[in-house]
Amino acid sequence: MMNTNKITKIFTLLFAVVALVACVNDDDFTAPDLTVEEPQLEGDVITIDALVSLYLQELNDEADNLGIDTGDTQAIEELRDGFTVDLTDNTNFVSGFVISSDEDGNFFEEIIMQNNAANGSAGVRVLVDVSPLFTSYEVGRKVYVKLAGLHIGDSNGVLTLGVSTGLEKISPALREDFLRRSVEVATIVPNEIAIGDFSESLENTFVKVNNVQFRKEDVVDATITFAGEATDEFDGERILTSCDTNASTILSTSTFATFKSLPLPAGRGSVSGVLTRNFFGDTFNLSVNSRAGVVFDSEDRCDPEVLECDGDAVSGSDTVFIETFENINDEDDLDGTWTNVNTSGGSTRFILDDFGGNQYLRISGFNTDEDPLNAWLVTPAISLDSNTDEALSFDIQAAFDNGKILKVFITTAYTGDPLTTTWTQIDANIPTGPSGGFGDFVSSGLINISCLSGDLHLGFLYEGADPSATTRYHIDNVRVTGN
Amino acid sequence: MKYTMFKLLLLLAVFPVLAQSGVKGTVIDAITTETLPQVQVSIEGTNFGVETNALGEFMLTENLKFGEQILTVRKNGYLVRRLPVVLKEGQMLDLDKITMEVDVSAEQQAIGLISLSDNEVSGDDDDSSSYNVSGLLSAGRDAFLNAAAFDFSATFFRPRGLDNANGKLLINGIEMNKQFNGRPQWGNWGGINDVQRNREFSMGLSPNEYSFGGVAGITNIIMRASQERQGGRISYAAANRSYNGRVMASYSSGLMANGWAYTVLGSRRFGEEGYQGGTLYDANSFSASVEKKLSDDHSLNFTAFYTPNRRGRSTAITQEVFELKGRKYNPFWGNQDGEIRNSRIREIQEPIIMLNHFWNISEKTSLNSNIGYQFGTIKNSRIDNGRLRNPSPEYYQSLPSYFLQDENPTANDFANAYQAQQLFINDGQLDWNNLYQSNTNSVDGISRIILQNDVIEDSQLSANVILSSQLTENITFNGNVSYRGLSSENYAEVRDLLGGQGFLDIDNFSVSESQDGAQGSLPQSDLQNPNRVVKEGDRYKYNYEVDATVVSGFAQAVFKYNKVDFHLATNLSQTTYQRNGLYENGNYPGSASLGQSEKLDFSNYGVKGGMTYKVTGRHIIDLNGGYYTQAPGIRSSFSNARQNNDVVSGLESEQIQSVDASYIFRSPLVKARLTGYYTGFSKGTDIGFYFVEDLATLGSEDGNAFVQEVMTNIERRNLGMELGLEAQVTPTLKLKAAASIGQNVYTNNPDLYLTSDDFAGEELRFGDGTTNLKNVHVAGGPERAFQVGFEYRDPNFWWVGATTNYFSNAYSDISNLARSGNFVLDSDGLPFNDYDPEIAAGLIKQEEFDDYMLVNIVGGKSWKIDDYFIGFFATINNVLDQEYKTGGFEQSRTANYRNLKEDKSRENGPVFGPRYFFGNGTTYYVNAYIRF
Repeated sequence: MMNTNKITKIFTLLFAVVALVACVNDDDFTAPDLTVEEPQLEGDVITIDALVSLYLQELNDEADNLGIDTGDTQAIEELRDGFTVDLTDNTNFVSGFVISSDEDGNFFEEIIMQNNAANGSAGVRVLVDVSPLFTSYEVGRKVYVKLAGLHIGDSNGVLTLGVSTGLEKISPALREDFLRRSVEVATIVPNEIAIGDFSESLENTFVKVNNVQFRKEDVVDATITFAGEATDEFDGERILTSCDTNASTILSTSTFATFKSLPLPAGRGSVSGVLTRNFFGDTFNLSVNSRAGVVFDSEDRCDPEVLECDGDAVSGSDTVFIETFENINDEDDLDGTWTNVNTSGGSTRFILDDFGGNQYLRISGFNTDEDPLNAWLVTPAISLDSNTDEALSFDIQAAFDNGKILKVFITTAYTGDPLTTTWTQIDANIPTGPSGGFGDFVSSGLINISCLSGDLHLGFLYEGADPSATTRYHIDNVRVTGN
Repeated sequence: MKYTMFKLLLLLAVFPVLAQSGVKGTVIDAITTETLPQVQVSIEGTNFGVETNALGEFMLTENLKFGEQILTVRKNGYLVRRLPVVLKEGQMLDLDKITMEVDVSAEQQAIGLISLSDNEVSGDDDDSSSYNVSGLLSAGRDAFLNAAAFDFSATFFRPRGLDNANGKLLINGIEMNKQFNGRPQWGNWGGINDVQRNREFSMGLSPNEYSFGGVAGITNIIMRASQERQGGRISYAAANRSYNGRVMASYSSGLMANGWAYTVLGSRRFGEEGYQGGTLYDANSFSASVEKKLSDDHSLNFTAFYTPNRRGRSTAITQEVFELKGRKYNPFWGNQDGEIRNSRIREIQEPIIMLNHFWNISEKTSLNSNIGYQFGTIKNSRIDNGRLRNPSPEYYQSLPSYFLQDENPTANDFANAYQAQQLFINDGQLDWNNLYQSNTNSVDGISRIILQNDVIEDSQLSANVILSSQLTENITFNGNVSYRGLSSENYAEVRDLLGGQGFLDIDNFSVSESQDGAQGSLPQSDLQNPNRVVKEGDRYKYNYEVDATVVSGFAQAVFKYNKVDFHLATNLSQTTYQRNGLYENGNYPGSASLGQSEKLDFSNYGVKGGMTYKVTGRHIIDLNGGYYTQAPGIRSSFSNARQNNDVVSGLESEQIQSVDASYIFRSPLVKARLTGYYTGFSKGTDIGFYFVEDLATLGSEDGNAFVQEVMTNIERRNLGMELGLEAQVTPTLKLKAAASIGQNVYTNNPDLYLTSDDFAGEELRFGDGTTNLKNVHVAGGPERAFQVGFEYRDPNFWWVGATTNYFSNAYSDISNLARSGNFVLDSDGLPFNDYDPEIAAGLIKQEEFDDYMLVNIVGGKSWKIDDYFIGFFATINNVLDQEYKTGGFEQSRTANYRNLKEDKSRENGPVFGPRYFFGNGTTYYVNAYIRF
């Protein structure tokens, strides 16, 4: 056997060798230094306001070139669609504060930024083919966007920075070249405004609307979710109504949002989110960064008091009253039995119209120049005394919808003048139609009026204002049944 | 050097010694000139041999055959010598000194094993560990086994198409195959090569004194202190395959006069990266054995080894990625603070201790009792990206093909593809800083993306008793009774929060379906402990135990006669498994996930037998056959053990039947073996996990799911032949050839169903519930392999060899789902209206990889300087730097006709193309050693 001393020596030498040459990185990594340094920009910085002005200027120049009157809003709208400004030669950077977050999946591969951290008054959307973005561009982060190489124009109805005339997303490889992070992370203070104050210039800014609620049929009669319904495709659109002004808007939530399956809250309160437009660009939308953007701190709703008779409505076998408008030649034929009046001093009232062989009454504020435009349509007296289980229904078609401006009331004490009558609103389903065309006739639903007696009058109130509230409605098949 | 063989022959002819009939001599080590005890000496073609005594002397006088014979001299760890002798009646042939050279092939085989363990750490699936049986093979048996062990193993070649779960690996008689998947965990004894030279190998179903085994044979590694060659050894190896360096030192005392023997070993293997990028290697190994010869009849041995190792893993890549980044590319690593950091680290720390008692009850009967205990952890790290997008640099949305997937890409698509391509070529590694940023930027300081470990914490107690008794001169009986009890804890653990303060333990994929959001019950990993914020080292996500026990018995009788040997063996076993859920999963509330599962119980048996018929000493015919059943592994028994207690529906023990027939030819010049084999498997089970986008019948919006694919009733057949041939054309030059031609195919259409938490409680089946695998090749390396080569051993103690190896008929692992009814069904469950069977056949045609040729060179030299013996040897593999695929698999992400057709017809390459493993280019391995 070898002497132990020698072996010890050999082994000692060996371990020395091992110690010297044989180390491998252990897995003990410390967090890397992630400090951001203020970027060195190779150009001047402009504000979002300046960028918007630049765009509008180019738009007007283009309009001039094409001989379009800049006052012709419709022609300008059409021009904007597909019009982009090529910023290839622009050496500037635009700066702004991030107001959107993709952390909960409600924004995807886009960053919305606005001009100021507090009460932003102009904003722009930047498309980037990267997910997630919040990990670098969190809410409040000041970001500089290199303009050279981008285009600006309308995409999904809002002002957007993207690549080429198609406003494509900035490729992941170029993300860091186009988006430079500032060290500044500010607290975003929302601009508290009313739904009626929504305007094009406030698109892409962070706003807060107070004292709003979801529709009764969505949260009281049923419990629907932000965007988890079978009918929700891409986005769940939920109507928010102001308790102060009755104005309504849409809260839009992506079906990829993590909170899509949460139920809408039933009470009322505030919603803070990005003011944007729907996918097609035709109506205003609010989009929240997370479920926390909806703070309904009051249980009490502000629904108008509506008629509520006990029990479910019954479809009776007797027809107590029916009007299909098929047997008249024009609306004047109704005068005397019906009340059809403009109560705001204008001349617009319900008129007879037909489509595909079906006659109905129509009203629209479009191009009436009437603001306000209030018009009443009241049925003749309908006696409820010889029947039981009376129920009411009618059909409504909404078209060119820019807000729900039709309400339905009843009374059993009609004075002959709708303005002096005491009305009770009924909980009828008034459909929301498309903004650029016609919806379908939709039933009001069968409404139980069995607790009433005497002579019933049904009144439709149109509350329009040209050009902001001009939704066109068609009314047909007013019917009362009983047993 | 004493005598060359020719001189010996000459001597034999000139100086025959007159005495009683027989042959005698002394066996010595060629380099050290030490005499060698316990060398087996026999005349080929007879059953009887003798062992050399402590002085290395032997005398063979019984059962002689006269005339030209071949004397075989064999000792573990040495090259076998075959000496042509002429035996004459009435003559005692004195061979004087017979030299034996140390066999460095063990080392060479270890290199093969390095490649194996490379395969082991590849792959996305944690369970795609190497199936290669080459590590089970023992070198030196014949030309074919040598080829398979040294040259074929680097390329996923499986002898007879078998998986190493079909064989048994024993250490000191104790079974080492894991109960989880039936495979040995090579990492448990890596780096202790010097003390594992003593191996006994039984090929196929041939008899083995320790165990019944399986169709892939049995290897027993003997780590008894008294069996190790006395002396020390220090070696240093440098390589560029998996580790860059290895230092190893060992010392064995041999059996000392006081009856004690001990062996110690220490080694370290290290490397910042191997052939593939970022594959670090950090392994230390310690081993010690102590044996005390208590009396002439009793010895007690204690062996312990501990081989903690840490390795960076790599993975299969698509053709597109390969073309952009080459075969060394590994997406798992990225730079952090200027250092390579691999996100997929495998750490194995499972020490083994054992106590072995050897008792010679009588001259004819011995009893060996063993008890072993293994404990420790296997940890595999990976990124848990919570609900963030997969940060892998080769994520499909980051590759050019993604931007060019439309039929007519726009200029902008091309621009984006170009940008993506440039970014990927110039960087293409994991962005650690971005991960940290996700966490430090989070609103609440809670990490959004972390590094986790999947941990298996096993403790296993094994005990067995092995009896061997020579009942008569011709009959030997072997038997054993053994027990194994495993308690396995399986859980995920937070490894690194990557800069954040904690991590919310919920299943982020279930959040958007939850009516109560992240706080709701559905996404909870553990309803007993909801919305936990976990810290580093905490368990989370899943946590369960599995208890498994196996009790088995084995009996064998071996009959040896002059003309014929035969054997018969049988075994019986009882296996039970039970899962015990420690978390109550939100998707599987109550006992569906929490508490004990059904207790699975399998009774298995087997019979095997065989015979060797010695036509003459030169011509031998060998036949073996067997039938046995085998309990499924734990992995194949629970369909989704991480989430629930579900047991695979239709789970059965696998049935295996096998026959082989060999013709063996041995002349002084030529040794050859030709074998034909058949192995049939039925009632097999297999489970896979993947994300799929287009499940039929769930509706167009809901076809996405992370699924468990359960395939049962699998029947397959391995059929083929193998040939090994070597010719000692001169005493120094040996030519060799080997070939294997096989066909491994499915022979039925197995049953297939899917489970998922997206449709919890349901087993989704398509069409008739089967998948069309009949006649599809079972993937697993080339089915055909050929070798020609030579070995030159110079009398001056240097040698060199080279082989050319040719491989063909390797097939891709197919998507089972794409061969099921799902392929033809639209999202509504009805067949596609544009289905064209001809196009369909083209889409699901199994891919056959290109043939390839690998040239390997090996050589070495040794010297004696004073008391030291110094040597080195080196191998260069794939000298021609051939580029080749060793394997690959189809992704099941898109698995229906329309989507596959769309993906495969994309002009700029598929988005979800198959993934491939690429073989190494030219690599080297040099080892220098000193013995004393």
